[in-house]
Amino acid sequence: MSTINFAAREINCKIVYYGPGMSGKTTNLKHVFSKVPAGLRGEMVSLATEDERTLFFDFLPLDLGSVQGFKTRFHLYTVPGQVFYNASRKLILRGVDGIVFVADSAPNRLRANAESMRNLRENLAEYGIDVRDVPIVLQVNKRDIEGALPTEMIRAVIDPKKELTFFEATAHNGGGVFETLKTVSRLVLDRLSKNK
Amino acid sequence: MIEPTLALYGDAFERVDQHLEELLTATGVRYCLLVDRKGFVLSHKEALWAPRPPALDSVATLVASNAAATAALANMLGERTFSEQTHQGENGTLYVESVGTEALLTLIFDGSVPLGRVKVHTKKVIARLADILQELQDAPPVQLGDDFSTGATALLDDLFG
Repeated sequence: MSTINFAAREINCKIVYYGPGMSGKTTNLKHVFSKVPAGLRGEMVSLATEDERTLFFDFLPLDLGSVQGFKTRFHLYTVPGQVFYNASRKLILRGVDGIVFVADSAPNRLRANAESMRNLRENLAEYGIDVRDVPIVLQVNKRDIEGALPTEMIRAVIDPKKELTFFEATAHNGGGVFETLKTVSRLVLDRLSKNK
Repeated sequence: MIEPTLALYGDAFERVDQHLEELLTATGVRYCLLVDRKGFVLSHKEALWAPRPPALDSVATLVASNAAATAALANMLGERTFSEQTHQGENGTLYVESVGTEALLTLIFDGSVPLGRVKVHTKKVIARLADILQELQDAPPVQLGDDFSTGATALLDDLFG
């Protein structure tokens, strides 16, 4: 759960962007970084390989402002999507308050989406937590690519019971990025206020 | 919830602050941070003469991630944990030591400060900090209420449209 520092009047929440490799997690963060006023964001830290694939994580601190005298801050992380980086993904999930699952609309990535969601469930379970206990927003990204799969097909493998709030997105041009972030932020803060 | 809430307040916070201040004076380091395992800064102190510190959010995040990766390595090698990390560069050193299971004490200093001195003083302070953080485990849960939710929603609307 969020770290609350009463003395410094700070509340910090951790939001993790999860999903298969190349689905656009880092692109989401880069868009947020490029659009949020400099005074409200910190440095973006990217630990990436030479070909710009996320190796460990990307990190972006974001100040929301003061709520009831508490400086409220989100720490946004991405995880590496490639299957073989699971150890890193698990570490980054530690202490997560909210998750954005970024699914890929490409026709050949349906299985990768499903496997990534299963991997998320398994990694959360290893921390003793059910996937339904964490606020999760589903972002179906790359809606503008040729042959993009129908959203319903993607949801059918990731969220068959339609329990998650979802957004369509084209993160490379910013479409759906802030709608997604706003919704997951609200879910996290709602839980915080209800002390869940 | 994956992690318990760490809520620092009142007397506990002041005692943590005091210990960090004393550590700063005793060792001569530039910066001294207490960071939780999620990568959030719980408290920090810097020497009056020290240059402007690096981005503390980023430092804390990287320190916590590094500690998590190191702990995973320790487990793979059959160790419960590696309790300290030292990174020495040409001009400066980063020293990180676990404070119980909840936090990490991080010191950043230049070549004029002997690492041995830092270790000796750090170990003394860590036991006291661990006791304080242990007390916090028994603190009553945080209550923020519906007003907080309403205020937060308004800010989200302002920032994200």
